[in-house]
Amino acid sequence: MAHHRISVTVNGSVESVDVPSNMTLLTMLREKLGLTGTKNGCTAGECGACTVFLNDEPVNSCLVLAVECDGAEVRTVESLARKGKLDPVQQSVIDHNAVQCGFCTPGVLISARALLDRNPDPSEEEIRDALVGNLCRCTGYVRILDAVKDAAQVGAASETGGSR
Amino acid sequence: MDTVETTTPRPHQESAAPRPVGESVTRLDAHEKVTGEALFADDLQFGPNMLYARIKRSPHPHARILKIDASRALALPGVKTVVTGQSTPGFIGLYLKDRHIFCTDRARFVGDPVAGVAATTEEIAEKALDLIDVEYEVLPPVLDPEEGVRPDAELLHPELGSYEVANFIFPQPGTNIPNLFKIRKGDVDKALSEAAAVVHHSFRVPHVQHVPIEPHVAIAKVDERGRVTLWGSSQSPFAQRNLIASALGISQADLEVVAPYVGGGFGCKAGVSMEALAVAIAMQVRGRPVKLRLTREEEFYTTFVRQGLVAHFTMACDAEGNLTAMDNKFFWDGGAYAEYGVNMTRGAGYSSSGPYDVPNVRTDSYCVYTNHPVGGPMRGFGQPEMQCGLEQCINRLALEIGMDPMEFRRRNCVKEGSNLVTGMKMHATGIGECLEKAAEAIGWGHKDPPSAPHKRRGKGIAAMWKAPAMSPNAGSSAWIEMSEDGKCTLGLGGQEIGQGTFTVMAQMAAAALGIPYDWVRIASPVDTKYSPYEWQTVASRLTWSMGNAVVAATKDARRQILELVARSWEETPEDLDIVNGNVISAKSGRSSSLKGLVVYGLARPGDQGWIGGPILGRGSFMPTYVTGLDPETGQGERAVVHYTTGAQAIEIEVDLETGRVEVLRGASAFDMGKAINPDLVRVQMEGGLVQGISTALFESLQLQDGVVRNPSFVDYRIATSADAPRDMQSIIVEVPQDDGPFGARGVGEHSMVPTMPAIANAIHDALGIHPGAPPFTAEKVYLAMVDAGLVK
Amino acid sequence: MREAHPGLPDFDYVRPASLEEASRFLAENPQSARPFMGGTDTFVRLRDGFWKETRYLVDVKNLDGRAEITFDPRNGLTVGAAVNMNQVVADPQVRAHYPLLAQAAHRVASYQLRTRATLIGNLCNASPAGDTLGACLLFGGILRVHGVEGFRDQPLAGFFQGPGRTALQPGDIATSIRFPLPVPGSVGHYEKLGRNVLSDLAIVGVTALGHPDSSTASGHRFHLALASVGPVPVILRDLLTQAPLTPEALDEAAGRAMEACHPIDDVRGSARYRKFMVRNLSRRALNRVWEGLQSGHCCE
Ligand SMILES: Cc1cc2nc3c(=O)[nH]c(=O)nc-3n(C[C@H](O)[C@H](O)[C@H](O)COP(=O)(O)OP(=O)(O)OC[C@H]3O[C@@H](n4cnc5c(N)ncnc54)[C@H](O)[C@@H]3O)c2cc1C
Ligand code: FES
Ligand code: FES
Repeated sequence: MAHHRISVTVNGSVESVDVPSNMTLLTMLREKLGLTGTKNGCTAGECGACTVFLNDEPVNSCLVLAVECDGAEVRTVESLARKGKLDPVQQSVIDHNAVQCGFCTPGVLISARALLDRNPDPSEEEIRDALVGNLCRCTGYVRILDAVKDAAQVGAASETGGSR
Repeated sequence: MDTVETTTPRPHQESAAPRPVGESVTRLDAHEKVTGEALFADDLQFGPNMLYARIKRSPHPHARILKIDASRALALPGVKTVVTGQSTPGFIGLYLKDRHIFCTDRARFVGDPVAGVAATTEEIAEKALDLIDVEYEVLPPVLDPEEGVRPDAELLHPELGSYEVANFIFPQPGTNIPNLFKIRKGDVDKALSEAAAVVHHSFRVPHVQHVPIEPHVAIAKVDERGRVTLWGSSQSPFAQRNLIASALGISQADLEVVAPYVGGGFGCKAGVSMEALAVAIAMQVRGRPVKLRLTREEEFYTTFVRQGLVAHFTMACDAEGNLTAMDNKFFWDGGAYAEYGVNMTRGAGYSSSGPYDVPNVRTDSYCVYTNHPVGGPMRGFGQPEMQCGLEQCINRLALEIGMDPMEFRRRNCVKEGSNLVTGMKMHATGIGECLEKAAEAIGWGHKDPPSAPHKRRGKGIAAMWKAPAMSPNAGSSAWIEMSEDGKCTLGLGGQEIGQGTFTVMAQMAAAALGIPYDWVRIASPVDTKYSPYEWQTVASRLTWSMGNAVVAATKDARRQILELVARSWEETPEDLDIVNGNVISAKSGRSSSLKGLVVYGLARPGDQGWIGGPILGRGSFMPTYVTGLDPETGQGERAVVHYTTGAQAIEIEVDLETGRVEVLRGASAFDMGKAINPDLVRVQMEGGLVQGISTALFESLQLQDGVVRNPSFVDYRIATSADAPRDMQSIIVEVPQDDGPFGARGVGEHSMVPTMPAIANAIHDALGIHPGAPPFTAEKVYLAMVDAGLVK
Repeated sequence: MREAHPGLPDFDYVRPASLEEASRFLAENPQSARPFMGGTDTFVRLRDGFWKETRYLVDVKNLDGRAEITFDPRNGLTVGAAVNMNQVVADPQVRAHYPLLAQAAHRVASYQLRTRATLIGNLCNASPAGDTLGACLLFGGILRVHGVEGFRDQPLAGFFQGPGRTALQPGDIATSIRFPLPVPGSVGHYEKLGRNVLSDLAIVGVTALGHPDSSTASGHRFHLALASVGPVPVILRDLLTQAPLTPEALDEAAGRAMEACHPIDDVRGSARYRKFMVRNLSRRALNRVWEGLQSGHCCE
């Protein structure tokens, strides 16, 4: 099987990685770069635990080939907090007790951040719609919805905007 | 600082709980979970020496294994070993040792592990599976528990009589029945013949899966001397240590289980499911870590399932609406191995009256071997399945005699002193209050108009009870160790699986010691080599059992500190207290921080040496009062440690054009004795309600000829963010538990027990149709409406 | 029993420099090479153990000019093959002139999946459950296809031949799809019934499109496309042309849809239920369209 040397910017740092054709972005992040914050829950695009930003849009990293990311910019949950300061949506998830086992949380946070970046004042329906690809078996979702709604308000108040 | 507190160091016996017990402090693990730092088993790094394992599984529900030829697989470059049942002849199992790690002579379900491969990559291991040739002789399968009990049924475990078994499980050798639990209380036939109303209904509750978002993963390493380390996503590090060590014939002391955060368990990571496979493979490749992780598909069809249930209920009451008799028959689809499932059968039996005071009860609860996936514990441990039918029958009986179903429940529910099905006396409980508050929260008795002409609304209620179903002597232990600045580390063996146990334990320790909450750290990950013993993280028992151990350990440390300071100050410990991290004296008014003294002790005056030393508190707890039950009648002094009770009331709307049921609001009220952290209790109730809704509306493992037809998220749907009801009320009722820490008892599982029947009862309220067995899918409800002539 | 792999099986990733090179490569390796766009269907199928003969995955999304949506008041809308579903949903031109297409695209899976999933992929994948097939068919979509012989136009009518089977030949690469201008005043609606409220595959999907037509007695014309009730989308054209347009007439048209489909039983639903749902959801969709036509503005 062919291998490819790719150059990809991950959480702001440029990485040169050797990847086989069939390696997914998820596997590259977790097993080549040791970024284990992004989780594998199904390898099939269904659970959303693997959600990361690819060129500023959220994707299921289990359904993207690593080789497709040559020249791209990837951001994972590890990039959300800046210099020890949590992203408003991270803080809000804590404040609302919207995390239990925490396995879905990294993916939820990326989807939520992506939503707030494209729509700083989402309605509840829009939040539900944006998170429908992030399965959570623990929380019953409503705390997560509230956390995102509140993070939007905090974001609007402090004008911190997106994480870019 | 003034001392206002008691001078005796027993703060937790105060009626008002000391801070921070009763406060909704922030979860200890929240920060690391939102940053991605929290480590789960698959996140641990083992370096390039690690091998990957994959499992060759039986494609047949029942077959004799004639021959396994692994030579082609072994010839594949990168393959390091192939393991079969020959190298693991021992039996494994929690309550009944009826299972081999790898199949030996027979495969008993589709997915039964036949061989395991370790290779340098997961892909090579996967390829090697196709190169293992297995010859089977296909045998007729048993695919239904009622079929399985027939005398002419194919015997799945002819050796049943020789299996090692716990003394409260009653296998029936020569049958497919690994446990039969009976209740005989009062005179059921007489009561039935004299009843004013009798209902009789049967239910088939399907298998469902736990669906943690983190699939199972285990990494095992065996050293040259045969000592084992196992890292895994585990609810039961100590039980795994014990069961795997006994199966392999090694000492428990030579098997270390390390268990980082668990990405959801709900029971499927309790006991041993796939972990022993990793260990057995690692045995053959000494010195190298071997990682086995299940695919989502394997997660669906090879791990513990919530077993299916066929239940028949006959229930009777008198003209005033007093329950007089219940006659129950349960056939549990235990699956291929019943090592854990046998105890669900028992738990359903000793709770088979539901939370009601019923003078005459007859129950036969059968666990039955079938060629289906292995039944294991799942949130509620049999009670959601059993009470699904029971609570629908209660509703029907109430309606039959023209009584409000909520009123009927309140009248019949257990009270302090009630004589329970097993003869045990009920302790103080708040079930009546739970029923009233849940009903009130959704406006019980008041019918709101539907939101559209093509919709119908309905309300339903269900009560529940559940006791921790466990070994009678399941124990807990804890230690607490102090650092120089007075902060402390709490050692415990219960697992953080999302329920917030680390947080709650830290709260109890802080309260019992008298230090701020943020001074407590948890010694994690749990590691059987360093952590104190804990039976398992199951049965909603940690807050109560491990909490007792933690309070005991903390009290032990507190006593040592106070004795030390008392000696130094020449006072008595009874006059001293620890408040907010300072030792203070009520008598002299003296005060001292804990700093230093908890490690270095205190200097005697005049440089005359030192007293004290590093403080280390220890505590353990084990219930000693649970007694056996008679095999013929199920009667005994005390069947269980306690029952947690509660109720849920649900309002739904049914779309007459599609049959889709939408839950508009759900109110949960549970009596957990004392909410150590009220908001953590509320999120348990919310999560449980939505999991309950999910099983009620969507979930079933579709088994056809023993094959799971929907082993993926594509076709095994669970509730998403769009399915959760906005309006969820979680009501805390606190009738203290006499032997619980600060009066607490467990509440983790309970919130999904009444959901299925509450929704079923609401559907009946809306449509006049009894939907019967779950899931109440849009299709099922629509076709029922067609058959009832409600729609065309 | 489906035995999914832990990861993707072996293949070589191929990224041709030009369409010609891509078509040639695909035609030379008809069994073993596959084109892909977002890969959301492709990777899942490969992981599930289908398409065992696949040796090369040919990435065709980065070839020039594939990532745009253009609208021209005379020729209509053109959606490039690499345009993802979220772009379709959000595009102002799509929303203004073909809102039905945006509505259908929005019903595909989840936001993050739609970042990768493409409209063209949905069509070429030819799943009977595909959410956008109905809208694309009813809008008269014409695929632009590059094959070994160069470019050609391939109307969607006749394109779908069975589950996963299309009129495409080895070497063919769909590069865009064009939709002629809709009949003025057109109103569309998509009704999808999944097991969950959102994100599930369709047990039944009903796409309805209606428009004013002075040549009919009713003054209107309606069309339906049905998903998940046959091997290919079931199309019913020219409904409700008779006067008067009453609720009974709409019911009757919905009944015809029910008669026209021949669904099967599968894990997602029984044939019996599906038939009822085709009728009820067709009625619902036709009513929504009719309301939209009466109120004079295109509803979603
Ligand atoms: C979790 C999940 C949920 C999903 N939910 C839905 C849903 O709700 N509704 C729905 O309709 N679909 C759903 N899908 C299916 C899939 O996402 C869509 O069909 C999507 O639009 C496919 O687009 P793609 O670009 O990813 O296709 P690809 O996987 O890239 O391609 C799909 C097929 O088309 C062929 N192909 C691709 N591009 C070309 C081309 N340019 N020329 C010729 N042939 C080509 C490929 O060879 C392949 O056979 C789901 C998939 C997943 C994984
Ligand atoms: S792991 Fe990618 S969606 Fe589940
Ligand atoms: S918190 Fe456990 S899956 Fe979401």
